[in-house]
Amino acid sequence: MTTKKARAPKAELIAVDGVDAAAVLADARAALGAPARGGISRWDASGVFQELAVADETAGAPSARTLLLLYAADLAFRLRWQIRPALAEGRTVVAAPYVETAMAFGRAAGLDPKWLTNLFRFAPRARTRRFVHTSPARRKKARDGFVGFSCDRLAAVRTKQERLRMVDQTAALLRRRDR
Amino acid sequence: MRPTSAALRAARAHFTAPGNRRGLLVAFEGPDGSGKTTQRKLFKTWLQSEGYDVVTTKWNSSDLIKPIIKSRKSVRALSPEEFSLLHGADFRHRVEQVILPALWAGKLVIADRFLFTGLARDVARGLDLDWVLKLYEPLLWPDLVFYFAVSPATSGRRVTATRTPNFYEAGQDVTQVDDPVESYQRFIARVIREYESLALIFNMITVDAEQSIGEQHHLIRRLFLEGRQRPWSDWNADAVAEWLQQARNGAGR
Repeated sequence: MTTKKARAPKAELIAVDGVDAAAVLADARAALGAPARGGISRWDASGVFQELAVADETAGAPSARTLLLLYAADLAFRLRWQIRPALAEGRTVVAAPYVETAMAFGRAAGLDPKWLTNLFRFAPRARTRRFVHTSPARRKKARDGFVGFSCDRLAAVRTKQERLRMVDQTAALLRRRDR
Repeated sequence: MRPTSAALRAARAHFTAPGNRRGLLVAFEGPDGSGKTTQRKLFKTWLQSEGYDVVTTKWNSSDLIKPIIKSRKSVRALSPEEFSLLHGADFRHRVEQVILPALWAGKLVIADRFLFTGLARDVARGLDLDWVLKLYEPLLWPDLVFYFAVSPATSGRRVTATRTPNFYEAGQDVTQVDDPVESYQRFIARVIREYESLALIFNMITVDAEQSIGEQHHLIRRLFLEGRQRPWSDWNADAVAEWLQQARNGAGR
């Protein structure tokens, strides 16, 4: 009689990054494959940005730096409640988006890359990194997701043209990271 | 945001212009129960009587971020990293919305707790000092920092005399001790240890907070009068220039 050793499930963290939230989610679903394999960890699982969206305007517009500190807080929440527990169970987690989107947004806003690298130092490296690139026409419409949300709130982004330039710059930086 | 050289020049020129009554930033730091708030109020009243235009900013008081932190604290849902990052966001928003605009307008800002509170508490929660300090970049250094020094026993006695410390104040998220008073005693000892290191590293003015209220107040007045003539610190150029660029970009909004 032969006994088969039960194979330990393979835990994997996959990062999907891009500026178009709908396209990122579609790619995350494709990357995950069968849902039983794991799950998708999405932006704002902690609800921080949902609360920010309903904040009184008199509180003052946040800067890119403040928004990134909040993104990092949300990511810490996702790691604690979604990503790390799933990996510990040997499951696959697709983080959509993960660190690259936020880093590219921060760089497009002119923040020091060293500051950004330090900010996300607590986040483990994804084994697989996927980037979703979309056409300028789609980017123009993209309003959901961290980049769209942030561009709509930055005090420094005043016009539609400035908004589009910021989104495009973030997308260009993500394309460069994909090379 | 890496500030442009024009923004850096404008920041330096504004704060070093001769004849300008430049804005001053004075921070009051120390553990709970050290009497900071009492001293801050006395100091503010005195400054106003001396003709200063005074603005006060308290820890965790940004209109935008405070409600977010409050709701999470109430359900005890914060990890040390989340706690640190949210307080960092609150601080940054106040720097941009309250502190720098007031300093630019030549006012005197009293900060009831400054970034050192974040550093002491976060490191006491087990986070790396270097990581936490960099979250607060670009750094804004106060002209004067008063550190109100008390022993853990005094802090514990004063705080628990009138109330039970709340979950995070007592550090129950990291001590795993059920009794808030016992947890507070353990946690505040760690916080004070970090504060004492920071007071040395960052050259704070230590006030013996076990002295009488009157003695402390007179000491603070004297030290303020001696220290207010200090030249503007160029270490603050990046923080001011970044804010200036943002304010100018968003001026049309």
